[in-house]
Amino acid sequence: MVQKLDVKQGTLALMILRTLDVLGALHGYGVARRIEETSGNRLKLNYGTLYPALVKLEQEGFVTTEWRQSENNRRAKYYSLTPAGKTQLARETREWHETADLIAAFLAPRRATP
Amino acid sequence: MRHIRAAIARLRGLFVSPGADDELREELEAHLEMETAEYIRRGMAPDAARRRALIASGGLTQAAEAVREQRGVPWVNGVVADLRYALRALRHSPAFTIVVIVTLALGVGANTAIFSVVRAVALKALPHDDSGRLVYLRQSTDGQGNESLQFSVPEVRDLRQSVPSLAAIAEYAPWFHTLQRDDLTIRLDVALVSGNFFEVMGLGPALGRLIRPTDDGVGATPVMVLTHELWTTVFGRDTTIVGRSVRIDERPVTVVGVLERAPFFPHPVDAILNMAVSSHHTSAMMVEGRTHRMTEVFGRLAAGATLEGARAEVDAVHARMRGEFKDAYDPGSHYMVAVIPFREALTERAELTLWLLIGAAAFVLIIAAANVANLTLMRGVRREPELILRSALGAKRGRLRRLLLVENLVLAAVGTAFGLVIALNGVGLLASLVARYSPRAGEIRLDAAVLAFAVMLAIALAVVLSVIASLPKEGTLAATIAGGMRRVSGSLRNQRLQRALVVAQVAVSVVLLAGAGLLTRTMIRLASVDTGLVSQQVLTLQMPLVDPSRFDPTTDGATKELYQRLQREVRAIPGVLEVGVGSTMPLRSSLIALDVKAEGRATPSGEAIPQAELRTASAEYFRASGIPLVQGRLFAATDRAGATRVAIVNEAFVSRVLGGSDPIGKRFAFTGDVLRFTPFSAEWRTIVGVARNTQDGGLDAPPRPVAFVPFDQELTVMGGLVIRADGGAQGLHASAMRVARRLAPGVPIEDALTIEQIKDESIAPRRLNAALVSAFGILAVVIAAVGLAGVLAFSVSARTSEIGIRMSLGADAGRIERMVLREGAGLLLAGLAIGAVGAWLAARAIRGLLFGVEPHDPVTLAGVTLMMALIGILACWIPAVRASRIDPAITMRL
Repeated sequence: MVQKLDVKQGTLALMILRTLDVLGALHGYGVARRIEETSGNRLKLNYGTLYPALVKLEQEGFVTTEWRQSENNRRAKYYSLTPAGKTQLARETREWHETADLIAAFLAPRRATP
Repeated sequence: MRHIRAAIARLRGLFVSPGADDELREELEAHLEMETAEYIRRGMAPDAARRRALIASGGLTQAAEAVREQRGVPWVNGVVADLRYALRALRHSPAFTIVVIVTLALGVGANTAIFSVVRAVALKALPHDDSGRLVYLRQSTDGQGNESLQFSVPEVRDLRQSVPSLAAIAEYAPWFHTLQRDDLTIRLDVALVSGNFFEVMGLGPALGRLIRPTDDGVGATPVMVLTHELWTTVFGRDTTIVGRSVRIDERPVTVVGVLERAPFFPHPVDAILNMAVSSHHTSAMMVEGRTHRMTEVFGRLAAGATLEGARAEVDAVHARMRGEFKDAYDPGSHYMVAVIPFREALTERAELTLWLLIGAAAFVLIIAAANVANLTLMRGVRREPELILRSALGAKRGRLRRLLLVENLVLAAVGTAFGLVIALNGVGLLASLVARYSPRAGEIRLDAAVLAFAVMLAIALAVVLSVIASLPKEGTLAATIAGGMRRVSGSLRNQRLQRALVVAQVAVSVVLLAGAGLLTRTMIRLASVDTGLVSQQVLTLQMPLVDPSRFDPTTDGATKELYQRLQREVRAIPGVLEVGVGSTMPLRSSLIALDVKAEGRATPSGEAIPQAELRTASAEYFRASGIPLVQGRLFAATDRAGATRVAIVNEAFVSRVLGGSDPIGKRFAFTGDVLRFTPFSAEWRTIVGVARNTQDGGLDAPPRPVAFVPFDQELTVMGGLVIRADGGAQGLHASAMRVARRLAPGVPIEDALTIEQIKDESIAPRRLNAALVSAFGILAVVIAAVGLAGVLAFSVSARTSEIGIRMSLGADAGRIERMVLREGAGLLLAGLAIGAVGAWLAARAIRGLLFGVEPHDPVTLAGVTLMMALIGILACWIPAVRASRIDPAITMRL
């Protein structure tokens, strides 16, 4: 069985933004499913983690919400990216790559001293 | 930017509509359904699918709570909930709530009132510019009544020339004038000042201008500056007063301005005038007379100069003056000059009383806080199961602590509100007490700073109370449930703390009671001091018919005639038994004290030349005042002007001037340099009678030597009527005043008081001291008794099962009672012992406020200790009896 990981602080917002960017408007369940699937089911999002993050993104103006009929005819709240959200996603993606490169450089196997 | 937007959204979230919660629930429910549908699609039974989805959700309620926290400001949301809960919890324990609020109200009220006094009198910045550099100079000699001699003009001149540390020296001569208007005649206490006075003091005008150096000199126009108080009370804040002329002692004087609000020291004054207004103050006699000391002196330290430097320079100058003018400085009297920072001089008389009040109020606060702490601890123990349950349900320790803090803040806030009401009522009383000691008493009020003090006090109390309460450790639920949720014992730490607090309460109560006892005894002693007068039904009217600076031999006959007419007509009022006339009223000290020498008796070298008060009096004066003659005769009709000069002296005169020898027929004379400045003769006077000492300097001051001379044998400088009534002297007040007003219109009448009232003036401040400290003491004892009873009752309730077991094993009620009493007695004894030591130490501090009782008066100390012991035992008795009534059958069943 795959070990379940906790979502690292700050990375969840990036994942949500990316998900909405790729799939367009989506309800909370859809976001959760997509993130879990993308992680190969290594991540498990419970509501108490997901929904405060969504509310926070809404407060910051990166996503907007709208009630719509879902695919199986149920009323659900849909989240979609705002222009500010797109900019934020680009910035966070860049920052994340920089950080990842930096950490990778740090953790690179030691070269033998000449 | 995004943070600001988020913050605004969050703040808006605080007032989120109830609909938002429904929406959230719907959203979460939709999520759950979609997930359940997914599991069903994968082939699970509907029930199992839903359960699976629920488990995966991590709890809908928790999620909703997390979202709510994200939506609003969590801290505020929590506090609002806590507040609602706290109010509900307090409503459910009204007894606790009321006791705590009343205790806090008393503690906070007392302290706020006293703080307002301390702030006004000692802490608040003075209106004087750079007041830290302002100093007051005080010349004094040994001997009673010579604590402040003031300075003469030549002395001021010497100081100005030889003290470089003082950049400037200002003069201020206390004087009095009569303000005459068509509608009223009042005597004004005024200051005659040098032109640089306001510059040195660093004071500015509220209106117009102040007196300036160009107002100096003999030829200057007389000008007057009103104090803010006089401008308000007599001139109704009339802004057009500036530039107008008013009549002062029959001459016009121009009002040039109004002084800003400022305390006047050492005497309060109504107005300030330049020296030119008084011919006396500009006369050669005043300007050249080295012993003609009528001026207060203030100085301003020069830049870079220090107080020590100024003191050394003043000492050097003074030593030179003493060497040069031997006649003006009797070596036996030890002349000296003190340089005192102005601020210190302002508060020096109030200091002891202030400390007394601060001490008493602080003690009350300690006891009150201890009591509330104890109650909180006990309540905390009773609430232990509740808190444990809350923590088991997920409340973090911080959250519980916050709950307690909110509760205590609610208590403190309500207590403080009531405390402020108490303070508001007490401040007036305190201001009237402090007015006797400090010129700044008028500034006492409850203002923003005082309110801030009260609020800070309340918050500090609430925080302390919340911190001392112990909280259940996380994970103690199991142990508690196993114990049947009845582990109501309180931790050992709490119990020790409670006991220590009760001991402290008892100890502090004893200290306060001892202070109250000593001050009360002082007051009783003072009230029972024999004034020396045999009659109490006496009314006095001090009414100066002449300006004492302008005694005029040519009009003296007419003045005397008028006094005699006054005497005759007042005598004719029904109910009047006797009317006397004299310079000074009985039980008042005379302003005139002169050096005296007895014939054939030289003052031993090194000893101060004796001084005696000179008072003029008619023969009727003694009978009217009720001053008994112990030897010799009263004045007779033959003791008139031109006849042999005679005198009646008091017992203090006989012992101090005549060395106790038989006085009748002996002769004495007034002497000394100062005599030149008075209209009194230096001729020998023959003693014809001895009067009993009377308490003229106040009931607590030893009598000074007094020489009465016949009213007819001296120029009239002062005068008043002493009226003896056959019934209530107060009843004669109106009719006597009517006669005086008719015969002498335009003459201000002062001190229209009965002897009883004059005597009372001397006692009143002590009575207020005693009443305040006694009130605090009684308060403390009551609070301490409640605390003691409470702790024992708590201890009994915690030991109910144990007591039940003891009883079922054969202990009778008496045994149980004794057991509880023993526990209480231990606490009580410890408190009494510590309190007795504290009282011993505290009594020394208030030595200066006592009269006729030793600070370590054993009767008082033993009495208050016994009183506290009795009240303490009574307080222990109630829980003891209750313990003995415990029914073992019931306790065992629980």
